[in-house]
Order: sequence, then C-alpha cells, then structure tokens
Amino acid sequence: MQDPRIRLLCAFMLSLAAFASVTGALAVVIWWLVFTPRWHSIRHRHVILATLVLFGIVAGVMTLTGSDGLSYLVRMIAILLVGTWVYAESAAGDFLSVGTWCLGTRIGFEAGMIAGMAMQMAAGLSDDFCRIRMATQQKGQPWGIRSIVPAGRVLIHDALRRADETAEVLAIRGYRNGGTICPHFPTTVRDVVAGICAAVALLLVYIPVSEFFIHYR
Amino acid sequence: MEVSGVKIVLDHLTVGYPFWSLAAKGVFSPGIHLISGDVGSGKSTLALMMAGLRAPDNGTVIREGITRTMLSFQFPEFHVTGLSVADECASWNLDLDAVILSAGIDADEETPVLSLSRGELKRLHLTCVLFLDYDLLLLDEPFSSLDCPGKEQVCRQISERSGGITVIFTHEQSIFPRIDHIWEIAGGELVDCGDMPGAVVRWQHAPPLVKKLMRAGRIPHAVTPEGIREAACRTRG
Repeated sequence: MQDPRIRLLCAFMLSLAAFASVTGALAVVIWWLVFTPRWHSIRHRHVILATLVLFGIVAGVMTLTGSDGLSYLVRMIAILLVGTWVYAESAAGDFLSVGTWCLGTRIGFEAGMIAGMAMQMAAGLSDDFCRIRMATQQKGQPWGIRSIVPAGRVLIHDALRRADETAEVLAIRGYRNGGTICPHFPTTVRDVVAGICAAVALLLVYIPVSEFFIHYR
Repeated sequence: MEVSGVKIVLDHLTVGYPFWSLAAKGVFSPGIHLISGDVGSGKSTLALMMAGLRAPDNGTVIREGITRTMLSFQFPEFHVTGLSVADECASWNLDLDAVILSAGIDADEETPVLSLSRGELKRLHLTCVLFLDYDLLLLDEPFSSLDCPGKEQVCRQISERSGGITVIFTHEQSIFPRIDHIWEIAGGELVDCGDMPGAVVRWQHAPPLVKKLMRAGRIPHAVTPEGIREAACRTRG
C-alpha cells in the first residue's frame, strides 16, 4: 500500500473490527489475505512466534478459568497480523507526514515525530535483544526464560538513555515545538479499494446488519 | 592457556546488504591484530562472523584449536547480567576488589551496574574481559566512550596479553596498544597490510601523525604512544 494515510486509517479500523468480535477478526484476516503481501509482510518471525505463544498461554489460562480463550486468541492474532503488516510497510517519515497532514504543524508534527521515533526505536530494540542474547551466551550463561528480566532491564535502560540523548540533541538544535513539512502521498486505486473494504469490515461489526432485515424475517 | 596451533582462517567470505558489501580472506595467527576502517565499513559484521555469531553469505570461517571465544560488543550494556557491580563481577567469576582496582572506577559492591556512566561501564566490562583467557578475543570498538587516560589503561591491558588471538576492530586514530599485524577495510574489502613495523607503510587508515612521520622518513616501529614518540624524537643518522 502506497499511501501512508490510508494505511494507518486501515490499521485503525481493522484493529477496532478485530477487537470487537470473532466475526470482525475473521473479516480482518480475509482483508489481510487479499490486500497485503501476506507472509512476506511478516518480519522478525521469531518475535511474532514468541508473541503467538504468549497469546496462546493467555488464551489457555482464560479457557481454564471459564472465559472465552479461543475468541481472545483469534482476535489477537488478527490484530497481530495487522500490526506486522503496518510495521513492514512503514517507511521513515510516514508518521511525521501523516501527523502533520492530519493534525497540523504543531500537535500533528509533534505526534508524528514521536510515533516515528518510537517505530525507529522498536526496530533497534530487536537488534539489541539479539546482541544481549549473544553476549549472555558468550558469558557461559544459559539463555532462557530467566534471562528475560536482565535483558529487559538493559533494553529499558538503553531506551531511556537514548530518549534523553535525543531530547538533548533536539534542545541543543533549538527545537521548541511543531514544525513544517510538505508531504506528498502517492495514492493508488488499490489503496482506495483496500480502505473502503476496511471501512466495510468495521461497519459490519458495529452496525447490527440483521436489524435491517427484521421485517423480512 | 593452550594456544599453540590456534588460528582463524577467513576463506573467501562475502556478506552483502543493499548499500554495501564486504569481502574478506586471510589467516589470523596468535598475536594482536588491528582491523581499522571507517564507520559503517562492516567491522562489526566481520567481528560477528569471526565469532561464529553470524553466517557469511558465501565462504567459511575456519577456527582451528579455538575453544574459548569472546566478542566484546561496542556497547558494554549488552554484556550486563548482574544488578550490582558485585553481581556483575561474579557473573564473570572474578574477584570484585581486583576488578574495581584495575578498572579504576569509583564504585563499591552495591553500586547498581547500570548507574555507572558509559565510560565507567566500558572500563568495568573491558577489565573483566581482559582478566580472562580466551583463544580468540574480538574487541569491537574497545576505545569508544573512553577518555584518554581510559584508552591508555585499556591499551596497557591489551598489550599485556601474551597468548591467543586478539583482534581489535576500531576507527580509533589516536591511541593504540602494541599491535603485531594490521588489516584494514577499504573499498568493501579486508586488506592485509602485514606484520608490524612494515605494515604501517601500507596502512591507508594510518593516523595523521603516523602519516606525517612517514612523510618525514621516520617510520615508527610501533603505533603505541611510546613507539610514535620514539619515531618523532629519532635523530636522523
């Protein structure tokens, strides 16, 4: 999908649809199969697999405690698919462009810049996690579930330090708030069709369609 | 430490990304090797391949007689597994007092290890690594985050290593430990400049001061501060 505005709007609508019900989640999966590069849009497959395992454990616990674990699992998988697709298709500057276009040069610029930085940091976290695993194993310590806490501590510490450094750099460069950007959004027919279909999926979930046919029944 | 017969062979390695590639071949025998190159030239990727932590696209890395390998990453935080300085030293099976004394940091056993400054943490980490014996020790940018006294101290510790293969990957241009063999990454290729002192003549990434000395006909026998000072003060015969 070329146009980041439609991409982010689709992600928002599809996430709501998937979260609302299993029907919505299935509609989202169908949308994902039709309008995305499917498996090619899934990067960092180990991370995705680990997340799926986590969802599976939570769903299992929910089922054991009497809740609908299967519904939770299906909905979360649909949201995960949408999230991985957006992450894979996003390019540097997308959030900044869309934020400024949507909310203006002050709030929009700031929100877009923060979202862009967060995405950039997310990409770095994955690499850092790999390095931490390698370093731990080189120390002769086994890598397992107990390693997650010290690794997480280092990742959080590094993320906070980088945020501090970025804030300092922005302040040194005289940044106060807001900014100007003149983005260009290439929109294709396929983007528009995908957007309409995402909107339809959301409407089908939230609008009680059967009510329209009550007289017919 | 058993080091006889230890060597690492880079057999026509290639690795490629969309915007750069690296080709490497050569044999690393026991001693201290320097691999210099610009930022982004592929030093860290080469270090990962030599450590066996990343597979090359083509070619192989042959490690002969190497049983203990350590790759010290540029960012020392990656190696931290303990909460306090004492925990961290214990995770390396090292004596706390000896490490603190050698690292020259202002810390005690209860100091949270991540509360140390980047420079202090780097010195603590390098001290731990250099206290231990490895057949293959790969140091990725060991001088980053260090001030001049810190760099000099690390150089002394590295220079004292007597066995195994030590490889330093750096773009450092001011202070070096004792170096036995120089390599550099130039034009996407690992170039073997040879053993010291002859290597310094072929070294494109040589520090400006070394180049100036060479232009004056004073080729340093070593790139340590002492070696450069000796070349600068040498009286022409």
